[in-house]
Amino acid sequence: MPANPAAAAARLEARAAWWLTGPTALLMLVLLVLPTLAVLALSVTDAELGVPAINFLGFDAYTDLLTDRTFLGALRNTALYVALVAPASVLLGLGLALLVEAELGGRAFFRSVYFLPVVSLIVAMASVWQYLMHPSIGPINLVLRLLGASGVNWLGSSDNVLFALAVIGIWQALGFNMVLFMAGLTTIDRTLYAAAEMDGARSAWDRFRLVTWPMLGPTTVFVITISVINAVKVFETVATLTQGGPAKASETLLWVIYQEGFVYLHVGTASAMAVVFIALLLFLLVLQTRVLDKQVHYG
Amino acid sequence: MIKRRLVLASALLAGLTPLAAHAETTEILVHYPMPGFFKSVMDQISTEYMRLHPDVKITFTSPSPTYEDGLQLMLREAGTPDMPDVSFIGLNRLRVLAERNIGTDLTPFIKADTNLANEGFSDGLLNLARFGGKQLGLAFATSNPIFYYNADLVRKAGGDPDHMPTDWDGVLKLSAKINALGDGVSGMSFRWQGDDWMFSALLFGYGGTMLTPDEKKVAFNGPEGLAALTLLDRMVKEGKMPALSSDAALQGFTAGKIGLTFWTTGALRSTINGVGDKFELRTTAMPVIDEQRGHLPTGGNAAVMFTTDAKKQQAVYQFLKFAAGPYGASVVVPGTGYVPNNALAPKDDRYLGKFYAANPLFRAGLNQMDKMIPWYSFPGNNGVKVTQTMVDNLALLVEQKSTPEQTLKTMAAEVQKLLPR
Repeated sequence: MPANPAAAAARLEARAAWWLTGPTALLMLVLLVLPTLAVLALSVTDAELGVPAINFLGFDAYTDLLTDRTFLGALRNTALYVALVAPASVLLGLGLALLVEAELGGRAFFRSVYFLPVVSLIVAMASVWQYLMHPSIGPINLVLRLLGASGVNWLGSSDNVLFALAVIGIWQALGFNMVLFMAGLTTIDRTLYAAAEMDGARSAWDRFRLVTWPMLGPTTVFVITISVINAVKVFETVATLTQGGPAKASETLLWVIYQEGFVYLHVGTASAMAVVFIALLLFLLVLQTRVLDKQVHYG
Repeated sequence: MIKRRLVLASALLAGLTPLAAHAETTEILVHYPMPGFFKSVMDQISTEYMRLHPDVKITFTSPSPTYEDGLQLMLREAGTPDMPDVSFIGLNRLRVLAERNIGTDLTPFIKADTNLANEGFSDGLLNLARFGGKQLGLAFATSNPIFYYNADLVRKAGGDPDHMPTDWDGVLKLSAKINALGDGVSGMSFRWQGDDWMFSALLFGYGGTMLTPDEKKVAFNGPEGLAALTLLDRMVKEGKMPALSSDAALQGFTAGKIGLTFWTTGALRSTINGVGDKFELRTTAMPVIDEQRGHLPTGGNAAVMFTTDAKKQQAVYQFLKFAAGPYGASVVVPGTGYVPNNALAPKDDRYLGKFYAANPLFRAGLNQMDKMIPWYSFPGNNGVKVTQTMVDNLALLVEQKSTPEQTLKTMAAEVQKLLPR
């Protein structure tokens, strides 16, 4: 019998906590923290795949990035892609959630249909989009030609390619955002709507503006954050459909990092790019939660 | 239950250490790229080899999707126990291995092998995989660019599929006629995307070279390079070639929406399968640019030995020779469309003599073999990047955002910066 039963119970609980969190913590350490540290270490060297000698370079790779046309172009392309995809997928996701939740019927059907892109493999879906957007045999251009318009060279023209990829990105993110918003909508207390109506909010727009939108605040912050991060991380569609081309017009950050590290074999430079990429993501995350959190009403 | 687990565990252990289990057999671990082209070919060759050599066991690691992925895997695993004994490396990436001192030099084996020439390994063939005095491998599958065409569209446009134009002027005129058929049909495509291989077909066609003989300076910025870019520009202006991604161009051709296309003969089998009965597919030689000085680049890969274990090396060398020899060719050629790198195979009825008589589509590549020179690979640690730089500049030209003169100037300046100083 231990002297103090309360202390023994606390010890037992502490031990259970270690048992429960230990495996996850260990995995995170091995798969997340250590690789990140390795990337940090590699980024100040001239490491190259297949070359055993590694020299310390300091921050040369970082200063080179400031004038690297490819990296800056990728930064610009990624920013443009995010600016196209994130707002559109958030707003359209919200609109769809409102429509589906409006109980016009077919709720389960629409929910499944819009969620389908989220659960399907994007690489496989990319080939479907490649067919849809094919300049001569693709259904999109066939329809455009039937309507009398001339076809668009979606993926083969450096002016359109980023826009075409953004369309796919929006399609992919839409359903996920819709489901998140739908979950947010169900948590809104119905009596708030009745109260608003009593206070003179007669139109649907008023009800949205005064009740739905503020009450969805926490959900919206989350959706925006997730959408921006996912858009910054765009890679699969670039790798399967355009390989960054034509003429670098669809090179995004992750693509150039992959290209630099695994195709050009310049591991040092690629690591520096990866560090900048991670820093950028963290910065966005902090910025968003700071700024948006202040304007959110947590019911 | 416990007993069953024990049995399972020991079976697993046995699987992990096959050498310990069968000490008398030699196991060769083989890696290869592009399973779409090579899986069935590799299976067939290894099965036959093991039938002839019961003391050798060939095991495959999972294949890589592209030459670049394969190279990356070998660089990563160099010196580790996981490293495959054999891999098939893209001919334009062998130099990366040579400069990093990875891969076993085959020179001593070849010197000791007195029968090599009789087995069809000519000096020209060996030269394809030789860098800086090292024999890095044996060319396994080699290709050259050929002219694919849709005979139905050619007829419709008033051309004669039996007498195709043999120069670019004629090709561009025919392309314009096919393009005028309407219904979303384009005249031609030329596979300038992806790598510098097809551009080098034009440059070499004019007798040009990529770099000066000392490999210090760009040499494609002369009249030959300008002529090559001007021809590409004319394909767009006169031949009405659309700016497509390489996938879209290939799909367009197999769907019967592009009349003429120019790409590797290595894609022949997959193109035949893709076209099916949709239209009559035919092939012929590349249009001739300069009869005297013109050449074509060699695509494909070489079988490279990586094992450093002296006991194993002889067995691995025998396997390389078998794969790259006449039997290997007799499997690779019909299975893919690559041309036989082995001099003996196409002449001998035991191997491919009858095949070529019965399959005329495969002859286009064969008939151009005397024009083949190595696919140029750039020196230094930016060698791979140079390729992409060239493709990016070609894209601007094909999109008509740049003139041939501007493109040549920018491309030469950018490539020069990437060369070792």
